[in-house]
Amino acid sequence: MATKSTEISSHVRSAANAWLVSCIIVGGISGAYMLYQLMTVGHAAFNTSSDGVNWGLPIATYVFFALTSSGLSMIASLAMVFGFKQFYPIVKRCIWLAIITLASGFAVLAFELGHPFRMLWAMPTGMQVVSPMFWMGVFYTIDLVLLIIKFYLIMQDDWHSNLSKFIGAASFVAVILASGMLGLLFGSVAMRPMWFGSFTSIYYMLTAALCGAAAIVVTTYMAFDFDSRNMPDELRTLAESDQLPKVFATLIGITLVMIVTRMWTGLWSNLDGLEGFHILIKSPLFWIEFLLGLVIPFWMLLQPSMQVRMRPQMIAAFLVLGGMFINRYEFIVSGQIVPMFKGTWVNSLEPYFPSTTEWAMAVFGLAVALGGYAIGEKLFHLSATPNNGTAGKLATSAA
Amino acid sequence: MAKWGMVIDLEKCVGCQACTIACGMENSRLPGEHWQDVIFFQEGEYPNTEIKWFPRPCMHCENPSCVAVCPVRATYKAEDGQVLVDWNRCIGCKYCMIACPYGVRFYTEEKATYGGPNMKQVFKSEDAHSWNPPWKMPQEDWKHGVGVQPHDVVSKCTFCYHRVSKAPKGTADLDPQNPATREYTPACVVTCPTGARFFGDLSNPDSEVNKQIAYKNGVRLLDHLGNKPQVYYLTGEGGSVPATRSLKKI
Repeated sequence: MATKSTEISSHVRSAANAWLVSCIIVGGISGAYMLYQLMTVGHAAFNTSSDGVNWGLPIATYVFFALTSSGLSMIASLAMVFGFKQFYPIVKRCIWLAIITLASGFAVLAFELGHPFRMLWAMPTGMQVVSPMFWMGVFYTIDLVLLIIKFYLIMQDDWHSNLSKFIGAASFVAVILASGMLGLLFGSVAMRPMWFGSFTSIYYMLTAALCGAAAIVVTTYMAFDFDSRNMPDELRTLAESDQLPKVFATLIGITLVMIVTRMWTGLWSNLDGLEGFHILIKSPLFWIEFLLGLVIPFWMLLQPSMQVRMRPQMIAAFLVLGGMFINRYEFIVSGQIVPMFKGTWVNSLEPYFPSTTEWAMAVFGLAVALGGYAIGEKLFHLSATPNNGTAGKLATSAA
Repeated sequence: MAKWGMVIDLEKCVGCQACTIACGMENSRLPGEHWQDVIFFQEGEYPNTEIKWFPRPCMHCENPSCVAVCPVRATYKAEDGQVLVDWNRCIGCKYCMIACPYGVRFYTEEKATYGGPNMKQVFKSEDAHSWNPPWKMPQEDWKHGVGVQPHDVVSKCTFCYHRVSKAPKGTADLDPQNPATREYTPACVVTCPTGARFFGDLSNPDSEVNKQIAYKNGVRLLDHLGNKPQVYYLTGEGGSVPATRSLKKI
């Protein structure tokens, strides 16, 4: 038992080491460039402007990571809250990834804000309870604290105590509220009709789950050198079953329906401010997201022959993650491209392309997330389950 | 408590943009960062076209969405009805800019909006101010968003808070023609060469602004959004208030 765990652990460690080194290099370069720009040029290094797109790629990156974190927490809840025990082998990895993706999102957001540290005292002293952004901050903070407690309990091999169950349930509620409130942040503003409505909240919750499913598929295989033979038995059983792909396919299907209905109402309606939908449907980026990022993975995961194989699952998950990153970007930018009353010297629709600094922030966020993931693989034996707690500890000590 | 409001008579407005310049000089604005703007737009299609213009300060709404969304209460409704930004609290999240239907808010740290030299580099600040213009206003009040703003905050028209807040309590009208009230009147109202702007207390039934709104059917911009602006427009026969925000359709 200990020998097998040690072998597994060595595979995990070698993959994680490679990832960690790559992330330190990429994150270091992009982070250094971003910091240099912010120190010398300031936020003028962004291509956002008061006349047009106020929130650009950094906010899209934040939303992508925050919702992926929420989705990972939701996937972990399948076993921890709803009793689907077959998902136990991915729970610990999900929770760790949820922590570090949320941390990446917060890091990117902090660099985007004008005065991030001021927020620490101004939010509690302001108590502006009618602001969705206030509640988003509250719920994501609660979410992060509960995730850390949950991870700590699992590290103590506590999967089933009353405390563990309570934290699991509370975490699920917090994550629904957090992702829903992030949606409401956009959905509350009636003057931005491409975002407006409670639909945005539901859309964010469900697409969060999709991103979480895709992220866990990608990282689980990544941890074992893209070879399921390296996996512990329980995890391999899950990886070779059609359980997770079915959840995954269902979530893609729901997302596709939501995107199509949103586009339909957007293109059909004459409401002032919805012109962005006409631009969106002409954009190659939208079609890449729609066809390559959602339709093809959906088709792949519906094929019984492909559902249980690693490679199609991997490809589908990568495509979905890429597609959803585009989705976050186009959702946020297209909501702002009809200008807010700026006069004839402003274009009818605002052009926007992220600056190099903004791209560097996105790359930095990705490097932080993947680097954090690698650290987790190295230190925490992320494939542990309630049945192999001792093995998990052995593997950790061997590492 | 006063509820300060503005009336702009579009029949009298000639689109000279003196208000824009006066505002910029009074409030030490960067070139291109017009707290008070005159928007020019075209109506109809060639050959039946008409050029129109539309002066647009901050609307200082009765029910301002920018105040509701601010997560830190940096933007707030002052006692006398002005919507202001506390530069000591603003975290620069720009949510208020997203939520304002009138596009009248500005983020300090941006690329220069005009061609030519970057004024923030030419008049570089050595302290917390975002720049150091040679024509600085004497007043400085960051709690009310008055003066040269610091780095990384949002700024906007204050209805010339530094002038209006000094008006004697109970004043119904701030009339630039009246020597007793001229120095308390917003710069754009003082400078308007055609007298197209009126400034007064909307909560006082005897104020000139209320009379103008009542007699000449004052209307508000994008009223359907529910922000209830405290800036009213008189359209008469000559002027018009744009019904859409984008002005040009694709």
